Amino acid sequence: MTTPHSSDQPLDDLDQVILDQLASVLAQLDPPPPDLDDRVRLVLALDDVDREVARLREEQLVGAVRGTERTRTLTFDAESRTVMITIVDRPDGLVRIDGWLAPGAAVRVELRYPAPDPPQTVESDASGRFVLDGVPHGLAQVVVHPARGEHAPQVVTPALAL
Amino acid sequence: MPNVPVDRAGASLDRAARLAERLEQARAGDRDALDEVVRDLNPLLWHVARAQGLDAEEAADVVQTTWLELVRGLHTIRSPSALTAWLVTTTRRESWRVRGLAQRQTPHDAARLESSPDPEPGPADLLLSEERDRALWRHVARLPQRCRALLRIVAHVDRPDYTAVAEALGMPRGSIGPTRGRCLAKLREMLAADSTWSPT
Repeated sequence: MTTPHSSDQPLDDLDQVILDQLASVLAQLDPPPPDLDDRVRLVLALDDVDREVARLREEQLVGAVRGTERTRTLTFDAESRTVMITIVDRPDGLVRIDGWLAPGAAVRVELRYPAPDPPQTVESDASGRFVLDGVPHGLAQVVVHPARGEHAPQVVTPALAL
Repeated sequence: MPNVPVDRAGASLDRAARLAERLEQARAGDRDALDEVVRDLNPLLWHVARAQGLDAEEAADVVQTTWLELVRGLHTIRSPSALTAWLVTTTRRESWRVRGLAQRQTPHDAARLESSPDPEPGPADLLLSEERDRALWRHVARLPQRCRALLRIVAHVDRPDYTAVAEALGMPRGSIGPTRGRCLAKLREMLAADSTWSPT
């Protein structure tokens, strides 16, 4: 004979109530970041061209080294390139991004923001270094374009909360 | 028998039908429809990544990567069940990849496992205001890790998708849906014996 709690009974409404309660508990204890939907929207809004997704390998928080400045270094790996960026909080509430591409190359680097803000674009030097300064806090995504004449995909990072 | 809403199964079917419609529109290039699919399924994907032991930033990245991969493969996915299973599989694979990279970075990272996403009972008691919720969480915390991971994910899945998702998680057939499965049966048994818990 089986009990009402037996594992081989069909799921009933009480089971569903328990699962719904668990979902509500998890929403209180471990909710997704409030900007998760916006991050996904930002990365999906990119035109559907040939691109490679760089994945976060490492995040280092250097901490408040000078006064209120906070510094974070993020490293993203894609097959064709590694993108390393250091995000420095400026005292005026804006952000400076020091970036480095490996292998180094002079290419166009774009910082995309949620619509309708236009992207900010810089060129890296031959060693792959670039700087984006005066960047507002908020969501952004780094897009590294291939060198002129190079047949390579764009490299895109996930959306970052700057 | 506890008093439970009778239209629950109906609501779940409505949701599945709406998702199927949005999926169809998203495949035709409708961005708003895709946004709705994202909003609908993000909590599930978040918990899949967190159940693999990722921290919050890693999990958020994995969820984004999963959606980017989906957009490439959208034309191959025909039904909401297939969509959910595909997303769960991809999120798990991406999570393993990220976790593998992180472990290579810090080979002796015992703290990482310690700080795995299930919050400790202490803070949970402070965060949960309802007695019922505290009771539920106390019993969930007593389940084996594998059960906690399964239920954490299944709690965010629509009923018609249980079997597909359990398969995507590599869980044995029957671990959830159409039958209750051992993890949920165990939880239900503990809850039934606890007078501080109630279904409403």
